[in-house]
Amino acid sequence: MAWIDELLLEGEKRVDELEVYSFSGTSTSAELKQRRVSLCTSSVETGLCIRTIDKGRIGSSSTNNPKEWRACLDAAIAGGRLATPQEWKGLPDPVVLPKEDLSFDPTVSPDPEITRDLLSQMLEGASEHPDATVTSGGAGIGIGEITFANSHGIRYLSRQSEVSVSLEAISGQSTGYEFDHAVSRTLVNPEKVGEQATFLAARSAGGKDIPTGDYNVIFSPMAYADLMSNIFVPALSGRNVLQNRSKLAGRIGEQVCAPLLSLYDDPHRKGAERSTWFDAEGTPTRRLDFVKDGTLEMFAYDLKTACRAGTESTGSAIRAGFGGLPAIGHHNFIIDGKREEIFDEPAVYVHSVVGAHTANPMSGDFSVEMSNPFCVKDGALAEPIRGAMITGNFFDLQKQVAALGKESRAVGSYILPPVKINNVRIIGK
Amino acid sequence: MSEKPGIRYYDLRQTSGQSTHIDVDNGVIESAGTTFYNKAVIRVLGPRGWGILQIDNYSPLSGKKFDELLASAEKLALVPDDTVNLGDAPRTIRKVPGVKEDCRNVSIEEKAKLLLAVEKAADQPLVTSRRANYLERIENVTFMDSSGSEYSYEICRSGFSVMAVASRNGTVQMGYEPDHTIHGFNLRHREDKGHKAAEMAVSLLDAGMAKGGKMNAVLDPELAGVLAHEAVGHASEGDLIEEGNSVLKGRSGEKIGNDILTIVDDPTLHEFGFEPVDAEGIAVARTEIIRAGRVNAFLHNRQTLAAVGNGVAGHARAMAGEPPLVRMSNTFIETGDATDDEIFSECKNGIFLAGSRGGQVDPGRGVFQFNAEYGYLIENGEKTRMVRDVSLSGEILSTLHGILLCGKNRVMHSGYCGKGGQSVPVSDGAPLVFLRDAVVGGSGLD
Repeated sequence: MAWIDELLLEGEKRVDELEVYSFSGTSTSAELKQRRVSLCTSSVETGLCIRTIDKGRIGSSSTNNPKEWRACLDAAIAGGRLATPQEWKGLPDPVVLPKEDLSFDPTVSPDPEITRDLLSQMLEGASEHPDATVTSGGAGIGIGEITFANSHGIRYLSRQSEVSVSLEAISGQSTGYEFDHAVSRTLVNPEKVGEQATFLAARSAGGKDIPTGDYNVIFSPMAYADLMSNIFVPALSGRNVLQNRSKLAGRIGEQVCAPLLSLYDDPHRKGAERSTWFDAEGTPTRRLDFVKDGTLEMFAYDLKTACRAGTESTGSAIRAGFGGLPAIGHHNFIIDGKREEIFDEPAVYVHSVVGAHTANPMSGDFSVEMSNPFCVKDGALAEPIRGAMITGNFFDLQKQVAALGKESRAVGSYILPPVKINNVRIIGK
Repeated sequence: MSEKPGIRYYDLRQTSGQSTHIDVDNGVIESAGTTFYNKAVIRVLGPRGWGILQIDNYSPLSGKKFDELLASAEKLALVPDDTVNLGDAPRTIRKVPGVKEDCRNVSIEEKAKLLLAVEKAADQPLVTSRRANYLERIENVTFMDSSGSEYSYEICRSGFSVMAVASRNGTVQMGYEPDHTIHGFNLRHREDKGHKAAEMAVSLLDAGMAKGGKMNAVLDPELAGVLAHEAVGHASEGDLIEEGNSVLKGRSGEKIGNDILTIVDDPTLHEFGFEPVDAEGIAVARTEIIRAGRVNAFLHNRQTLAAVGNGVAGHARAMAGEPPLVRMSNTFIETGDATDDEIFSECKNGIFLAGSRGGQVDPGRGVFQFNAEYGYLIENGEKTRMVRDVSLSGEILSTLHGILLCGKNRVMHSGYCGKGGQSVPVSDGAPLVFLRDAVVGGSGLD
C-alpha cells in the first residue's frame, strides 16, 4: 500500500511521530425469523485511524475512506494541538515477529450459502427439543486484514477470520439463548447451539420459586464473563488504577481471589479469536499474569498510561472497531485454575444474568436477575427455578470461589469454565 | 429508476457524517478528535426475503452501475426462504427543530475549555477522580426507494457527561451526570452538572445498603422512564412480536395495568430520540402502546405492520450503514393527577428509587431488571435514610398492575439504547410513580 508510505512521509514533516492503522474486511450474515431465513447481508468495510504525537501532544482521527487520508491527517494534528502535553517515551521500534497469523483460517470464506448451511444445522439441532420454538437466530462469517505502520519503520500485517452463530428459542414464557464463535468453520458447533438454546427454553418452563437465602452457585461461563467484564476487568486497567477508579489500586501482592484462581491474558493462543503478535500501538504482546494463584500481580498498560505511571506498556492496547482509538484492554482473557467435577454436589446453576452492566463498577456491588437458573442434583441440571435476583459484591465473591468446572469455552474475548462460588445471596420473589 | 424483475421493492439509505469527541480526565485533555464517515445500506426485497448490501464510501450511482448494485443485492435475496409483505403507511417528513447555537460555530478549543470547567466543578472534597466527555455527531441522511419516495435531512446530536468518584476509608462511589440534546450546543454554563456528580458520589459514601425483597416503591421520573422503556417498550417492538419473542404477543386489548396507566412512544417529540422520518421513509407518529391499562398498539416497521397488524409503522431506525430495526424513540408514562405528597403517603413504608444505571429485559420471558443510582427508605410517608446499589426486577404482565399513582409532571432523560448490535439515541421519561409490591434487589442484610 503505497499511500501508507506517502502518508507517513507527509506526516513526519509535520509532527515528531505518527502511526497508521488500516483495516479492510468483508463479511456476510443471514438471519432467522422463527425457522425461516428472512434476510441475507453482505458488507465491505474499510477504515483508517491515524495518531500523531508532537512534543507530547497526542492527536487522532479516523475515517472509513482511506482515500481521504490527507483530511484525516490534518484532523489528527488539529486534535493533537488541543491535547494536554504529556510525558512520552516514543512509539515502538520494529521487531521481528512470527509471520504466522494466530486468529486466521484461510479456508474461511464469506459465502452467503455457508451462512444458510450454518442456520440449517442450528435448526437441526433445535429439533431435538420440539417443546421449544425458535424465535430468531443468526450466522455470520467475516475476514479482515490489518496493516499497522509507524514512523519508526514498523510495517506489520495481520489477518483475522470469524465464524459465529446464535439462536433464541421460547417455550411458553421460558426463553433460551445460546451462541458460538471461533476463527474456523470447523470449530463452531451450530447443532449444539441449536440443541442448547431449545434445551434451555424447554427445560426452564414451569420453574419453581426459590426462597431468599445464601446458596452455592455455579455461574456458567456466560454469566461469569458478563459480571467479570463489567466489574473486575475494568479495575485491572492501568488508566483506572492511575486515576483512582480501581478498587484494586495499590493492592499488588495481595490476595484478591481464591488461591485456586488465576486470571491472565494469553495473546498467543493459536486459534483463539483475539490472538495477535502486536497490540493496537505496535507493541509486541506477551502473556500477562494479572492474578496468579489468587494474588494480584500486575495491571494492564498502553504506551501513554505507562509513561504517566512510570512503567512500560504491557502490550495491552486494543481498538474497538477500526475507528476506535487505542485503549487499554486485553486480547484473550483466560480464567483458569485447578479443574474439578463441580456438578456433583447440590448447587444453583445460573446460565446468564440480566443487567450485568448496571452493576457498580467502583464498589463491585451488583444485583441482577438470573436467566435459566436450575437446581443442580447428581451431576446434572434438575428442577428449573422460576427466576430470582442474585446479589453481592463481585470483588468479595472472588475470594469465595470454591472450584472451577472442567470445560472451558470462549465468550467474546474471555475463555473460561463454569465457576462455583459458595454462599451467594439469592433474593426470591 | 426502473423496476427489476424479481425485485419487489428496494431502498437505499446513505448516511455521511462527522463526529467530534473530547475526553477530559482529571484536568487533562486525554484525547480530542474528529471522525468522518460515509456509509450506505441497500435493501432489495426479492420473492422470498431481503438481500442487503452494506457499502462503505458510497457515491451515488445511476443507470447501469446502479442496476449492477441492485443485481448483487438481488442475488443475496435468493438465500432467504421467508414470506415478507410490506404494509403501507403515510410518507411525510417533519422539520428538524432549529438549534439555539450551532455546534459548528464553536471552535473545538472553546468546547474543550468549557468541558474542562464542567469537569473542574466536580473537584470537591473527597472526590478522588473526575472525568468528562463531549460528543457531537452531525449526520446527513438521504433516502430513496423503488416507489419514487425520496428525502434528505441533517441532524446534529450533541452532549456531554461528567463523572465523579469519591472515596473514603476504602469505600468508593460515583456520581454520573449526562446531558444529550438535539437542540444545539449545550456546554455553556453547565458547571452545575459537575457539582451534582460530585455531590452524588460524596453522598453515596454515607448511604446504607438496601435490603432486598418485596416492598412498596416510589420511582422518580428518570427511573420510571426506564421502567416504561424496559418493561413495556421493548416487548411492544413488532419484530419481537412477529418472532413470538414477546409476552405481549396476542394480548391486544388485554388489561395488563391500571386505568391510570398510559405508556407512549413518540418519535415526533423534540427530545433526544426525535426522528424527522423513519429509516424506511415512513412518517413518524405518536403510538400509545398501553392506553388506560390495556395493550393498545405495537411499534412497527412496514414488514411487521403487515405481519402482525395492530400498531403504527414509522418506528424503523438505524445506525449509519446498518439495516433498519424496529426501535423505540421517546418513550414515557403519561402524567396522572397525584401530588408528590399523595404518592409518598400512599407508599407509607417502602423505598424511593431514583436515577438510573441502565436496565435490560428478556421480552420473551417478560422479565426485566434495572438499577437505580440511589434511593431513600420511606418510613411513614417520609424519605429517611439514603441507600445505594438498589435494583428492581419484575415481570411485565404483573408489575404494571402495581402502578397505582402517577404524578403531574413528566421529565424526559436522554440516552442510548442497544439492540441487534446497533445503538440509537433515545429518551425515556415519566412523572413520579407509585409502584406497589416492587421486587427490590440489594445486598444489605437484616
